[in-house]
Amino acid sequence: MTVQPEQADVLTRSLPLEMNCRALDEERFCRCCRLILRRSDQLRDGWSWEALQGSEGYLKKTTLRPLPAGWGPEQDGGESPGAEPAALQPDPLVSTGSEEEDADLRLPSNSSSPVLQWEYHVLYSCSYATPVLYFRAFTLDGRSLTLEEIWKSIHPNFGLRLQNCPLNAVSQQEHPLLGQPFFFLHPCRTEEFMGPVLQAALDHGRYAHPGFWVHEGPMRFYLETWT
Amino acid sequence: MADDKDVLRDVWFGRIPTCFTLNPDEVTEREAEAYYLLLPRVSYLPVVTDKVKKHFQKVMRAEDVEEMWFEYEGTPLKWHYPIGVLFDLHASNTVLPWNITVHFKNFPDRDLLHCSSNSVVEAHFMSSIKEADALKHKSQVVNDMQKKDHKQLWMGLQNDKFDQFWAMNRKLMEYPTEDGGFRYIPFRIYQTLSDRPFIQKLFRPVSPEGNAHTLGDLLKEMYPDALTNDGEVKRYQILIHGIEPLLETPLQWLSEHLSHPDNFLHICVVPVPTD
Repeated sequence: MTVQPEQADVLTRSLPLEMNCRALDEERFCRCCRLILRRSDQLRDGWSWEALQGSEGYLKKTTLRPLPAGWGPEQDGGESPGAEPAALQPDPLVSTGSEEEDADLRLPSNSSSPVLQWEYHVLYSCSYATPVLYFRAFTLDGRSLTLEEIWKSIHPNFGLRLQNCPLNAVSQQEHPLLGQPFFFLHPCRTEEFMGPVLQAALDHGRYAHPGFWVHEGPMRFYLETWT
Repeated sequence: MADDKDVLRDVWFGRIPTCFTLNPDEVTEREAEAYYLLLPRVSYLPVVTDKVKKHFQKVMRAEDVEEMWFEYEGTPLKWHYPIGVLFDLHASNTVLPWNITVHFKNFPDRDLLHCSSNSVVEAHFMSSIKEADALKHKSQVVNDMQKKDHKQLWMGLQNDKFDQFWAMNRKLMEYPTEDGGFRYIPFRIYQTLSDRPFIQKLFRPVSPEGNAHTLGDLLKEMYPDALTNDGEVKRYQILIHGIEPLLETPLQWLSEHLSHPDNFLHICVVPVPTD
């Protein structure tokens, strides 16, 4: 599906302003989400809206990703004998679901490399007036990743920021709408983590390019940092 | 400013007599006797259950001991809620002591957060204080504090030191007199009847006309079903620290005096007992 030039222009002009998270009320959050969903539909990259009562809801995406380099479940902990990487095969039922699949990270159908299933939720925090990322990951046999494994899976560029007190940046927290354990990036640290990513985009002039917001949606960009 | 010290003390020193018994499915070398404790309402289970863990581990082999977790009548207890909130929500109308079952295997990781050490509780507690201050003062008070001040809040709670905690916490309770209260009231309304664990939204202590908002005003806006209309039979109890405050109580006063140490006002809506 192609994006009409005038449509791209509207998005380019509106999104950077809309995505300024410093003073985002819930209504604007929902408006941003609608724009992101429209573009996600065009890209077929799998974001959806999970509606709750009234206008409330959150953005959701589920995707399969290869294990990050240098990452492996604890071999010596013996927590779950079935969770060794060798036992992980992409589940054909999951990996062929085109709606759930991330176009650029599509696994070759004959891939034998181990994968994890990631679930991302973007919720609005009224306390901080920002979007907040909640996420969780499972091996294909259903074991949840531990917090230590999540810390290990964070991109090395951000590893340094975690060193001093990782619990203040990424920790486990109850999903405020579902009541289930998720990991979350603390809202106070979101800007610190995302700032360099946006700066890099600015430095490379990609931000000014009309295609930037269309082809590299900010939420996608936000999430790419983590895997 | 919090000025009613008796209320603050009563809240801080609230205790729940509790009987811990080992889950019968645990493998033990000899019979495990029940263990009794007075649990502080304002603390968290992992902070005050070291003795419970040691007591039961004495009769278990090390290889049978995994992460400890607690359950009440089939419900895994969320350690990240204050103990008093767990009691009011799940057990408020039962006979004391509160009977909690202790588990050392089959950790329900789809229901409970892991808690490997007290530093996890500390991070959770500080994160709640920061969120509350974002609502009350746009984070200005908590950001002006030094690291040792943050530590003082946590150590005060961990070691049950009322004066140490309140010497610092009173700063988080200040507001400009002309505002009549905080920017927003940090509150959470809990109920067990839906999947959604709690309601938390923005709510100001003072109406645009300058009137003090009450507990009743908050519930009318957030959870009208919890209120009893004229001529209706009362269906729900509105509990804070185990008591039912008058719905006419100003919310700002409640926030200053009946908030938990995490600076949130935790309100439980529970069905009225039928018998």
